[in-house]
Amino acid sequence: MSDVTAGARLHGGSGALRAGVFVGLFAALFAALIFAIGAGRFAVSPGRIAEIIFAWMAAPSAPLENIDERIVLLVRMPRVLIAAVSGAALAVGGAALQGVFRNPLVSQQVLGISQGAAFGGALAILLGYAGVTLLGLAFIFGLAALVIVGLLARINGRTEIVTVILSGMVVGALFSALVSVVQFVADPNTSLPAIVYWLMGSFSTATWARFWLGLPGLAIGIVAVWLFRYRLNLLALEDTEARSLGVNPDRERWFIFIATALMTATSVAIAGIIGWIGLVIPHAARILVGEDHRVLIPASAILGATYLTFVDTLARTLTSAEIPLGVLTALIGAPVFGLLLRRHFSKANQP
Amino acid sequence: MKTVMPLGIASLILAGASAAHADPIEITDQAGREVVLEKPAERVASIPMPMASTLIAIDGGVEKQVGMNPVAKQAVLDGILGKIYPEARDIPSDITAPNFIPNVEELAATNPDLVIQWADRGNDLVDPITNAGLTTMLISYGTEEKARDYMTMSAVAMGRDDRIGPLIEWREEVASDIADKAAAIDDADKPKVLYLLRAQETLKASGAKNNYNTWYIELAGGKSASADLEANGVTINPEQIAAWNPDVILLNNFESDISPERIYEDPILSLTNAAQNHKVYRMPLGGYRWDPPNTESPLTWMWLAELLHPDVFDYDLRAEMKDAYAKIYDYDLTEDDIDGILWTDLNEGAANYEQFKAKS
Repeated sequence: MSDVTAGARLHGGSGALRAGVFVGLFAALFAALIFAIGAGRFAVSPGRIAEIIFAWMAAPSAPLENIDERIVLLVRMPRVLIAAVSGAALAVGGAALQGVFRNPLVSQQVLGISQGAAFGGALAILLGYAGVTLLGLAFIFGLAALVIVGLLARINGRTEIVTVILSGMVVGALFSALVSVVQFVADPNTSLPAIVYWLMGSFSTATWARFWLGLPGLAIGIVAVWLFRYRLNLLALEDTEARSLGVNPDRERWFIFIATALMTATSVAIAGIIGWIGLVIPHAARILVGEDHRVLIPASAILGATYLTFVDTLARTLTSAEIPLGVLTALIGAPVFGLLLRRHFSKANQP
Repeated sequence: MKTVMPLGIASLILAGASAAHADPIEITDQAGREVVLEKPAERVASIPMPMASTLIAIDGGVEKQVGMNPVAKQAVLDGILGKIYPEARDIPSDITAPNFIPNVEELAATNPDLVIQWADRGNDLVDPITNAGLTTMLISYGTEEKARDYMTMSAVAMGRDDRIGPLIEWREEVASDIADKAAAIDDADKPKVLYLLRAQETLKASGAKNNYNTWYIELAGGKSASADLEANGVTINPEQIAAWNPDVILLNNFESDISPERIYEDPILSLTNAAQNHKVYRMPLGGYRWDPPNTESPLTWMWLAELLHPDVFDYDLRAEMKDAYAKIYDYDLTEDDIDGILWTDLNEGAANYEQFKAKS
């Protein structure tokens, strides 16, 4: 992409138009949340849901006696919130990585972070751990995957985008193999089904406890990237240019990497691998608000939250059985990604 | 070789009191393959998990077991069979990975006459065994008919036709006795029973098609709460269970730490009819888990029938168990053994569970 078009897109769109886009995004998120709270296998009327939520807001610690109250407040509410925050974090992580690598085709999965975190989580399940230990192992191995990619891709002090992506594939393949090893030794009656289902991605075990377990990692990651939104624009420049503007690209890249690894590992720990959000959502956001990370990051966050809330609602309501979330996001994400690839390369090949 | 054998076989057959013929044994297995054994199998290696306890029960001993699935072996050692047959701990279990992928060299090293493997998990699990020149019998799992079939096949293969007849008759008798009595139960009085295949973290249940649990729930005068599921062993959410609102919840034995407390402490599941009326039970664990088909299944049916309709059925379960264990394993169950199998500690206080207590 030439500097001229990049500059035009960076400043593209008037302020009023952009404000309108954000109003629309917030409205969509709000609508998705309302839809998600209202939909479910257990019939609760919309009026009753509003009554339950208002009663809860008036007296949050009042004991919940009725089953419809518990379903709305203890099953749907934490699940919808976890889905929304995870969606936001995955999308923000993807947008940040794409900015850092100056390549719209990278994501947490392309760089092997998801697979690393998956290995950590699968190992935790195999060893009989859950909760904080699972989260910790997922983070450690997610970060380890990223570090290995960084080391592999750095040749003669320079890090080429192509080597990063190839290294990511190598490391991703390595950790996928390690996940297979864990599955191979797992007991097919007990831990294996747990690992397989968890890897497919699901929020079906969502509780408030799990929400509070995941919130810190996801929120810290989102806020960290958001605070870095100005720097991301600089990191998107060539390293020499960035240095001349007073940025230490290497150090700041690592800041983004750690924030992304934290978000990815946390989301993998609480819900398994949910693919394609980090790849597809930032692209959609770019189409809406342009390439400026100051607006791209918040737009990705809202759009990611909306999308994952909506898809998760489909996963839990379409049939009596839960549809694995990763299946739905991949079914929607893969074709969209294919179209984006074509669009990207047909543009890149233009004179 | 064959000309020298008849004497040996004859003495064997006398010992086993089996049909005295020296003809090869021909079996059509559950994949429709022809399995030919020159003589009853003396050395059997089993890869599917439920086969380990089934073969021990059919043979009434562990001498012919030369290999089994490591997970199945652990289950045998942890359960009552480990107590009845302490020598089971010496059976090799490195012939297969837990996921049924055979280690052909280890398998061949045990020099088995017969290897038993799954029929419906793809040829990749079977070809290495047959390529190694080992006689392989494939079994399939899921319904009472299939269970009776593979039990009979295994008995024939081991030359224990004498043992399997009574076991099958027992299944037939108990099943038809329960069905006769249950026929009088009005449809409206049949409770909705939910069998949870997994409950510790994710909740899993099964539909009615080709599902063994549904079969005996209906036999014992119940209705499957999860009949509208399309497949077996799929994940469901608590909200779905609330919508079904089962009258009885049965917990599996695959999760070793599961207890009815899991349901009573869950904010949603504790409000179901089952939890409110204290009708949450962990299924018993005998020679094998009582939830899937096994050689002790008639005891499972009696147990469930007594729980669902104590006024219709009047089995003395403890006496039936003693009888069955004496017949199958030649073992005299103690009162403590029975309490352990029935989880009287975990199921303490549950509705209708008093009847299973030892009469002092």
